Amino acid sequence: MSPEELAFLALALIAIVTGTLALLVRELIHTIVWIGVFFVDLAALYFLLLAPFLGVLQLGVYAGAVTILLLFGIMVTRKRIFSREAATGITAVPVALAVVAFIFLLVALPEFPQGELTVRSFDPSLLSQNLFGPGGPWLLLLGLVMLSALIGAIYLVREGRE
Amino acid sequence: MDLSILFGWVFLVPLLPALAFVIIGVLGERLGRFEHGGWIAVLLSGAAMVLGVLIAIGEMLNPNTYTDVSYTWFHVGASGPFANGVSFVVGTLVDPISALMLIVVTVVGFLVMLYSVGYMHHDEGLPRYYALLSLFLTAMLGVVLSDNLLEFFLFWELVGVCSYFLIGFYWRKPSASSAAKEAFLVTRIGDVMFLLGIFIYFSVYAMTGPNGGWAANGFLFVHGSASFIPIGAPGNSTLLTVAGLMLLGGAAGKSAQFPLDVWLPDAMEGPTTVSALIHAATMVAAGVYLLVVGSIFLGGYTSIVLFAIVAVGGFTTFYAATMAVVNTDIKRVIAYSTISQLGYMVLAVGAGFAMVGLYQLFTHAFFKALLFLAAGAIIHTIVTQDLFRMGGLAKKMRYTSIAFLIGALALSGIPPFAGFWSKDDVLASVYSQLGAHPEYWPFFILAFVTVFLTAYYIFRVYFLAFSGQRTRDASLPEAHEVPWVMLVPMMVLAGFAVVAGLFAFVPSFAALFTGVPGLATNVPPAYGPTDLLLSAISVTLAGAGILLAWGLWGNGRVYELRASSPVHSIRNLLLARYHVKAAYDWVGMVGMYTVARAADFFDRFVIDGAVKGFERSFRSMSDGMRRIQTGLVSDYATYVVAGVIAVFVLLLFVAPYLASLFGGG
Amino acid sequence: MTTLAITGFLALSFALFAIAIFGILTRRNFILLLVSLEIGMNAAILNFVYFAALAPVNAGSTNGLPGQSIAVVLIGFAATEIAVGLAIVLALNRSKGSINVADSTTLRN
Repeated sequence: MSPEELAFLALALIAIVTGTLALLVRELIHTIVWIGVFFVDLAALYFLLLAPFLGVLQLGVYAGAVTILLLFGIMVTRKRIFSREAATGITAVPVALAVVAFIFLLVALPEFPQGELTVRSFDPSLLSQNLFGPGGPWLLLLGLVMLSALIGAIYLVREGRE
Repeated sequence: MDLSILFGWVFLVPLLPALAFVIIGVLGERLGRFEHGGWIAVLLSGAAMVLGVLIAIGEMLNPNTYTDVSYTWFHVGASGPFANGVSFVVGTLVDPISALMLIVVTVVGFLVMLYSVGYMHHDEGLPRYYALLSLFLTAMLGVVLSDNLLEFFLFWELVGVCSYFLIGFYWRKPSASSAAKEAFLVTRIGDVMFLLGIFIYFSVYAMTGPNGGWAANGFLFVHGSASFIPIGAPGNSTLLTVAGLMLLGGAAGKSAQFPLDVWLPDAMEGPTTVSALIHAATMVAAGVYLLVVGSIFLGGYTSIVLFAIVAVGGFTTFYAATMAVVNTDIKRVIAYSTISQLGYMVLAVGAGFAMVGLYQLFTHAFFKALLFLAAGAIIHTIVTQDLFRMGGLAKKMRYTSIAFLIGALALSGIPPFAGFWSKDDVLASVYSQLGAHPEYWPFFILAFVTVFLTAYYIFRVYFLAFSGQRTRDASLPEAHEVPWVMLVPMMVLAGFAVVAGLFAFVPSFAALFTGVPGLATNVPPAYGPTDLLLSAISVTLAGAGILLAWGLWGNGRVYELRASSPVHSIRNLLLARYHVKAAYDWVGMVGMYTVARAADFFDRFVIDGAVKGFERSFRSMSDGMRRIQTGLVSDYATYVVAGVIAVFVLLLFVAPYLASLFGGG
Repeated sequence: MTTLAITGFLALSFALFAIAIFGILTRRNFILLLVSLEIGMNAAILNFVYFAALAPVNAGSTNGLPGQSIAVVLIGFAATEIAVGLAIVLALNRSKGSINVADSTTLRN
């Protein structure tokens, strides 16, 4: 087993465990901790896949901004930060559905393109050229959509204030 | 004298009363000056009588069959066994037996119409009365003059409808309206059987007869002109038996023969004139007429049917007479008498002597109408029908009492009155068949005993009403003789009651009985010494009955019956009409309740169940749907995920499987 | 250049996606819902990166670039999504006094 494979296994294990824990712990703050670890772990995975630019983005956007935003959300909506969630039973149907989805995806695995991942690195400049080159106008359009979503979000927050 | 030119105008005979019906029906109370339409009805029925009697005389002079197919009702194209198609026609037919009926219906109809002017004078709703009575005459003449069974049946039904309306003429009386309904429903049973019989005859003769079973003019049931397969022909006797029994059922319904006799006594709720015309002389005779027509023109009856006819007629004769013995209502006694006498007619037809039955019909129509009109005169003057309140009327109503006496003598069969000749013929004709058919014996004996009963019950009525010094019930109005419009019809009918039996000795009149083609077996048998003995015995019996009535009821005697005496219980049984009506009620109730329960069950559990089941399933569906709509985001997410999974399952597994199943790529 | 079998990667992202589904279906706290969404989103982004890496490699080829480009865009999307989600959290909290989705079962206030 090559070091890369070992690293992948470890990272995958951590991702699954932290993702699960993030959803199962009853302390919301702990959720933030675990999801932070999860995001960092995924960033490591990107580095393993020789996508350092994505890894950095993941760290910056996810592990940084998103985690902080979630934490912020908890802080705003809670009087006491450390308060335990009401226990949410692991009901049968959603679990079954999740399991079924997973099994289903596994069953469908052969349908996906198969092969060895040839891991290599891209120069971020190539990435930006690709992003803004042929698909530039579309990217701008997407950015506009996201901007409008953000403005809507701000409006939503402001609305009830008066 | 050749009157046959009139045969082409015979359709006017029913149309004249129809005209009266239209005029009176349209103008209604505006005819107040004409006795509310009464005089118009009298006039037009009189015209019909003149024409009808002239036609009958023409038939006597030249007995033959004259058909006049005036109108093709509808035509069925060639198909199956009907190579030339079938035309259903409406036409008139004059032959000896319809001429005979023509006399009866028009004469009695006119006389009753005239009598009504006096009798109904004080009643309300007279335009309705005269219009319906005219319509009845039309329908009855239509029955008589129809040249095929289908037309016959239509008029037959119309007669029934008129009877229904006229029985219920005093519709404010609950008993009258229920009697009307009863009459309609009971005769309806017979009518349905009659219709079935028509169908069977139709199919039997249509499928198997020569010429495809059809007469040259395309319709089977034209009197006399159809060619019939003999009764003995293989394969048909069962069907013909059924058809004959159905015909008997129809006749029994109309002629109030056992077991469909219950309606006639109750039909006395109608005006007495209606009883005289419809429920004594004409409509009830239509059943017998049907049997006669069937016997002569539908190829005769099988032996089973003949026996059934004899049994029904013979039994009814006795059965109705016993009930007449104890009844205290003058009209009901005469009604039972009518049933009994109709039984004689049926008996004669069953014995194979259709024309004897018709002869009895002819004489009976006159003397029975006479009895009813005389009874009507009594009711008109003292306003009661209860015999035990009457008495001593002979002094006050001399002419009426004479008329009633003549009618009673005719009914009892005392020579030389009309009833004697015809009743004697009936008994003789049955007697002549006893050698070949010993199974007729009981019915012959019943019919014979009935002679005694008949004389007894009718003279019981006579003595109760007319003998003695005064009315038993002093509170009754003072009796007085009735006006001439009522007396004249009674006089004429009394004349007929005296001489109608003697008509048979007039050769040209007798030709009506012998002039029917293929009638050799239907004429009365030649009289031998035995028949004279029979006559002597029957007259003796009748005389004994009259004497008994005189001994028991003469001079206004009154009895107190002890409740314990056996006579009392018999009397109660007879007054209860052998509980037959109660049995019908019971059967009807049980039947109706059973059906109703079944229907209720069906309605409640099957139909309602289906409806409610739908409702419940939709409700539970909607309940389920509503329960799904929790508003919880997670639940919706669950459905989305489940749906997506389902779509993938379909796409990845089911669709390829189906494609392989149907041989697709 | 290292080579790795894609199967394990796919299994990982499937597992993460299943965890995300589980979270979305069971968690009643809106923030946990957002967390679940992010996990699922990451599982999806991972796939793009895998398949970008799966593309055949030629000298000077840019095969696989679009996959990574889309991953970049998606990360941006995720950030936006979180912002919008947070705005909803705040609005919910203001109108219902709670961020439990079980408390907001109607679309009206």
